[in-house]
Amino acid sequence: MLARIAHELFWLGRNTSRAELTARMIDGVFQADLQARPDDPAGVTLSWGAVLAIMGSTATSDSGRPSRAETVALLSTDPANANSVVASLQRAREGARSVRDVISAEMWEAINSVQLGLADAAIGVTGYGGPYSFVSYVKSHTALFWGVASRTMLRDDAYAFLDAGGRFESADMVLRMLRVALPPSGERSAPRDGQALALLAAVGGLQAFRRAHVVAPSAAAVANFMLYTRSYPDSVAASIDAVRAALELADSNPRGSDPVLRLTRVLADLDFRGQEGRRDGEELLEVCQIVGSELAAADRDIAERYFGGVAAAAAAARAA
Amino acid sequence: MSSTLPVGVFDEVFEHDGQPRPYAQALVAELERLGPDSLVAAGTLRDTIFMRQGITFDLTSADGAVADRPFPLDLVPRIIPAAEWRSIKRGLAQRIRALNHFVDDVYHEREIVRAGIVPWTLVASRSHFARAAHGIRPPRGVYTHVAGCDLVRDSQGSWKVLEDNVRTPSGISYMLENRIAMTRLIPSLFAHHRVRPIDQYPALLHAALRWAAPVADGDATIVVWTPGPANSAYFEHTFLARQMGVELVEASDLVVRDDVCYMRTTSGLARVSAIYRRLDDAFIDPLEFSPDSLLGVPGLIRAYRAGNVAIANAIGTGVADDKAVYCYVPAMIRFYLHEEPLLDNVTTYLLDDPEQLEAALSRIDQLVFKPTGESGGSGVVIGPAAEERRLAELEIAVRREPAHYIAQEVVRLSTVPTVSADGTLAARHVDLRPFAIFGEEIRIVPGGLTRVALEPGSLIVNSSRGGGSKDTWVLDDEEDQASERIYDTAFAPPSLPDLRLGSWTGQAQQQQQQRGLPAA
Repeated sequence: MLARIAHELFWLGRNTSRAELTARMIDGVFQADLQARPDDPAGVTLSWGAVLAIMGSTATSDSGRPSRAETVALLSTDPANANSVVASLQRAREGARSVRDVISAEMWEAINSVQLGLADAAIGVTGYGGPYSFVSYVKSHTALFWGVASRTMLRDDAYAFLDAGGRFESADMVLRMLRVALPPSGERSAPRDGQALALLAAVGGLQAFRRAHVVAPSAAAVANFMLYTRSYPDSVAASIDAVRAALELADSNPRGSDPVLRLTRVLADLDFRGQEGRRDGEELLEVCQIVGSELAAADRDIAERYFGGVAAAAAAARAA
Repeated sequence: MSSTLPVGVFDEVFEHDGQPRPYAQALVAELERLGPDSLVAAGTLRDTIFMRQGITFDLTSADGAVADRPFPLDLVPRIIPAAEWRSIKRGLAQRIRALNHFVDDVYHEREIVRAGIVPWTLVASRSHFARAAHGIRPPRGVYTHVAGCDLVRDSQGSWKVLEDNVRTPSGISYMLENRIAMTRLIPSLFAHHRVRPIDQYPALLHAALRWAAPVADGDATIVVWTPGPANSAYFEHTFLARQMGVELVEASDLVVRDDVCYMRTTSGLARVSAIYRRLDDAFIDPLEFSPDSLLGVPGLIRAYRAGNVAIANAIGTGVADDKAVYCYVPAMIRFYLHEEPLLDNVTTYLLDDPEQLEAALSRIDQLVFKPTGESGGSGVVIGPAAEERRLAELEIAVRREPAHYIAQEVVRLSTVPTVSADGTLAARHVDLRPFAIFGEEIRIVPGGLTRVALEPGSLIVNSSRGGGSKDTWVLDDEEDQASERIYDTAFAPPSLPDLRLGSWTGQAQQQQQQRGLPAA
């Protein structure tokens, strides 16, 4: 298939996933932030500064200490902020438009219709209503998109790139969340436990965690769960595995593919570390950093192997 | 905001001169800013969300039809200042500790009986006194793992205990769902208050059950036992099982072999070490209690007696939440703990005393009469509100079995402003049920379920009879915020690389940089 189309599909997946995860994070943190500090270590807490850190340095607030209203608006509905939910959805729609012939009509309809109700759903973000309506709107429409994709789209290269993008973004976002929420030292600290829990609740994994583990949620336990647990679909290991599987399908020679080989190695490493038993604070953080940089390298590999030729050609054409 | 206050009633938001109390000023200002229209809109959204999530209860209308209605959460929260909450919490913990002592005592040494404080005939005649529990001491000696005492405020605003629930108190799921709903419906109300969170309840309950289980902590399999989907509190049973991540079982899932309790799983029998049961003693084991019960597990009491399974709450705790025993709780506190009660009872008359019986019946239209063994407000007659014929029937019933009734002074419950159908506010009567968990220590999540009578002047707060509920806010204060500084300074987020945006031109530029090409 065309490299340009593959690239658009990959980023359609990434933008859709990013919009959803950002919305979920806003919801989880907003609810925890409205209330006072929990008097129990198992309570939920995450500051808006941490959320901005997760979203990268481009999302920094104007004032020193970011406020709730400011951050929520910045990350949800601010069209000028490239990392806002609205901007991600906008890019997803533009991407979908350029591959309208490849994706199914229902998928296009799902992503195109997001824009229609978005303005109404966003009213509460700045008013008294809070982000709830906006967040649940985004969650249900992105779920609709992935749902019709899984039912109506041919399982060909195109689907593989779309799927790879969506899962790649989950892995990346969850890693970012963990790197911010994990304790810097090996010690157990209540605020960090709370942050980890807030994130877990935000990505919708709290119930899964409780079913999988009898231990009380601590930052380390949650991080172990979100990193290594293959049976949990939003864990880093499960997401990377899905990306690898998708690329393997799309690649005519997967055994010679840098990104596939790299991801396979990362997975083996993750499985090995997961087998070694629980790790705390610093070690987990180190794993997150290693996997994070491997993912960034895989991102470059993917661009190089699958999208590279056309990009270079386009650049050369413009340069000429 | 217009609010007419009846005389002789304590309003928790407004002083008698109509000014808001200091701790409620910000809330009142925010409600005024929102206005009736916003409240009506938020109410519509609330009903939609609750119907979608299935947070409902069955309402039987006058013509007998049963309808599924969204749980009526009132949008004005109830505020309890920090200092007030601390004294309530201490009072409740004291009371629950004494009740636990009492349950242990009546099934073992009966010291309180021998000391002449509580008559044995009274204890033994209670409908929930369980002979099967005699001599059984559950693991770690805790009987009342989960307790919910109903509190009311009288016309002076002082808190009184109206009744104790130490069998299977319900309502915790509504309390937790109310909070989540409030943060979604009107988050701006929270803006000027530091409200203490409550979502740790399931984790606390889980920890208490693990602690009570008679096996090593890591191996404890805990289950929630429900009578089934037909039970009116089924929503709560599923809620708690989900929140704790444990199995929700029915009787047919459990089996006892050689005095050990198991559940039937796809991979054979799995040992169960703690059961949070949500049904009464009478139904749990047909070998010991009602032989015709289909809800029970044969042999469970044997397993319990052998110390192989913890049951929460323990068998026989019903004797402590009997309404006649209630009268003796202050005496229990003095007897077992050598302390003065921190929370008072409502003035109550024991009717098996002939003098008190006659005095109470002569004021039958001024008092509240309650059957002792019931819960959930069934059989309660409020004298001033009852018709003459009902009172005549009541007098006959009480004279026939005086020991099965108590009489209490009417408490003019305190009021809190409540949203009417048109979005305006009016004072309505409320009570409070805080939830305590007795594990390694007694923990009480801040607040509780506030129930509110939605009819003007009504004192009936039960949801089955037209009552609603409110989110209950316990405020944080300086003393609670000692740990605040740790949160603020401990946090310095690492800086992560920017998120990539993946535009085709961005892609092209990146490729150029990597290949060392000049920028276009």
